[in-house]
Amino acid sequence: MASHMRIFLIILLFCWLSCDALAATVKRGLGPEPDSLDPHRAQGLSALNVARDLYEGLTTLDAKGQIQGGVAQEWMVHDGGYRYEFILRKDARWSDGSPVTATDFVRGLRHALMPSTTAPYAGLLDIIHNARGVRRGELPESSLGVKALGINRLQIVLESPSALLLPVLTHPVSYPRQKSFGRAYNGAFVMAERVAQSHLLLKPNPHFHSAASLRLDALMWVVSEDNNSELSRYRAGELHITETIPVGRYNWLKKNLPDDLRVSPYLGTYYLAFNLRHPSFKDQLKLRRALSLAIDRETLTRVVTSSGEQPAFGLVAPGLEDYAYPEQVEQTMTQQERLGLAQALYRQSGYGEDNPLRISLRYNTSTLQRRIAAAISAMWREYLGVVTELHNEEWKVFINSRRQGSNTQVVRGGWIADLADPVSFLEPFAADSSLNYTGFNDTQYDQWLRRAANAENPFQRGDALRRAEARLLSQQPIIPLYYYVSRHLVKPGVRGYVDNVMDIHLSRYLSVAEP
Amino acid sequence: MIAYALRRLLGAIPTLLMLITLAFFMIRLSPGGPFDNERTLPPEIEANLNARYHLDEPLAMQYARYLGNVLRFDFGPSFQYKDWTVNELISSGFPVSATLGLLAMALALVVGLSAGTYAALRQNSWIDYGVMTIAMTGISIPTFVVAPLLILVVALSLGWLPAGGWDWTPARMVMPVVTLALPLIAYISRLMRASLIEVLHSNFIRTARAKGLSERQVIFRHALKPAALPVISFLGPAIASVLTGSVVVERIFTVPGLGSHFVQGALNRDYTLVLGVVVFYGMLIIVLNFLVDLIYAWLDPRIRYDRRWS
Repeated sequence: MASHMRIFLIILLFCWLSCDALAATVKRGLGPEPDSLDPHRAQGLSALNVARDLYEGLTTLDAKGQIQGGVAQEWMVHDGGYRYEFILRKDARWSDGSPVTATDFVRGLRHALMPSTTAPYAGLLDIIHNARGVRRGELPESSLGVKALGINRLQIVLESPSALLLPVLTHPVSYPRQKSFGRAYNGAFVMAERVAQSHLLLKPNPHFHSAASLRLDALMWVVSEDNNSELSRYRAGELHITETIPVGRYNWLKKNLPDDLRVSPYLGTYYLAFNLRHPSFKDQLKLRRALSLAIDRETLTRVVTSSGEQPAFGLVAPGLEDYAYPEQVEQTMTQQERLGLAQALYRQSGYGEDNPLRISLRYNTSTLQRRIAAAISAMWREYLGVVTELHNEEWKVFINSRRQGSNTQVVRGGWIADLADPVSFLEPFAADSSLNYTGFNDTQYDQWLRRAANAENPFQRGDALRRAEARLLSQQPIIPLYYYVSRHLVKPGVRGYVDNVMDIHLSRYLSVAEP
Repeated sequence: MIAYALRRLLGAIPTLLMLITLAFFMIRLSPGGPFDNERTLPPEIEANLNARYHLDEPLAMQYARYLGNVLRFDFGPSFQYKDWTVNELISSGFPVSATLGLLAMALALVVGLSAGTYAALRQNSWIDYGVMTIAMTGISIPTFVVAPLLILVVALSLGWLPAGGWDWTPARMVMPVVTLALPLIAYISRLMRASLIEVLHSNFIRTARAKGLSERQVIFRHALKPAALPVISFLGPAIASVLTGSVVVERIFTVPGLGSHFVQGALNRDYTLVLGVVVFYGMLIIVLNFLVDLIYAWLDPRIRYDRRWS
């Protein structure tokens, strides 16, 4: 009997030790200090990442970035896609133990749209009936198409059938809200400590519906304004995951930390944008095409950016499985063929050796931007004879110049999708978009976007979006240069970190085996 | 002395007022606003933000409102870090910067004064040249070179200390303190050397020697106090500077001090944060310069502040 007891105790001790080995603290690089941890007011990526750990929406993302049920365990689509009914999990709880109810979501969505909240992503909710009017203060909050049908039944009515609702509901702007905000969280973690400019310490939320699946004792988001400092801390073993890697260190890391380096496609595109209000480019499609074709994207990504980026000829970045990307003729051509065509189009536009085009290329002050601008300027000069004046401006000055467009010709641009959907790339170029700094105003393009918004089925919608992108590329308001990649260092002992195109990695899936 | 102190403190008010006024209008003149971003906000949201922070009011009214708030020591909400007020950011960052700064200054004073004195007493010897060469190197090499070098050697190669971060433990303080102290050591040792050499050649030292005092008594009782005066003058602004944090050191060692708020605030056009840090920094300089003047009077009896004394 005594020996059995000894064996039992040894097994118990072993279990305790092995469990302890599994449980651990993961330290993740966050980037800059989050602007706000109120999910409705959060704007920067760092703030959104922390909000995703502290709160959960009706839908959420799995480790691969695919949409799955969050607080909602199931949903039904009625009235041809106009009305959604969500059934909330009965075990969904706030960290103070109170249940997460449909009313919390109604309150949350109304709050996000209230003009006084000044939620930067409130526009994503415009697919909900009357959301735009509420956001602009033209309609009362009560007119919003969101209704609690019971404690755990929620109805959302849309302006028109939209495939975007489920992705939008993963976004922090749609998260629920308790009457007294800030006291409790409904996500996998709760805030234990926050030191400005230093770190945020999160502990598992014992009331989270999947608390049993959490493998971490604690999660520390480490603030770092400097990528090189973050790399030093990673190399010294003080971080498990970095927010990014410093510019120019890709090759060194590939050689020295190959098992840690994670580079994967990211839903973002880098491009140059024409100011179509400027006489040099207004109604000058041939010239815009010539300038685009003259850029050797392979050389640019291989030599200049050299962090695994993919050359781009389209706007919507690859990685969207359900999207039929439009055909890109330039991609099938050789660089020699592109150059030949570029020179012909340049001459047809009225320019040549005796009469070279003189333009300005404006970018924000940064080492990478300077190198890209210098390389492009050299390519234009060598292949076409274009004289390019480079202007770099401090970030806020640049943003302002680009938006106003009074002194810009060609500017550095780029876009990272808010949602894994083509419309996220395409909408910024709609004539009435506040994000449209190119001056692109094309009736056909806007019509295709409207058709996509009102499409009756996913096939029609996908087709309309594909045609919209094809129209945009044919009109060349931008020169796509490369598709972004996400770049992180992840310790080989970290489990549950799966590369995905949204580069969203919820900490609830992470575990770490300490050496 | 009390009258002098009061006069000085009253004299600080117009200085501060001018500082606030200049800083307020200069930051507003810079292009770009706090809410300009890659993702341009819809106009109605931007208008609401402007209304929330009173940026839609005439500039003169905003200035008057700000002055009123500063009088109550209320620097307002941060535009960029919406969960914090500027007062909260200053009160969380200042203790960290002040701790690092004071430790760096203490280290610099101990090492700098000793090295300067030692070099002065052995003027033109190889020790003097050695100390001054090291001092010149300390001044010449910028902190953004020293800090990564220290991390590379001490943290990454030797693994003796953490590469960055902050948790109030000595291990995390060593490298930032040493980095901050190195240029200070260089300045203080050079100032001390030059000043002590000059003092040692003055008449009252010759008199002290003629009276038969030992060299030790001459140096410690008569020479060091007047020789330290230039160092004391240097300490006022230097302490204010190190207390409010070094941007470079804080960024490289990921220290959550006040210095990074200053730069980030300016880059983000976080008007209230920049102004708050500027006003706080200004007040600190005024107070520290005032303290330095008082110490001056104590060290050098020739200096008279009160007319009744003369």
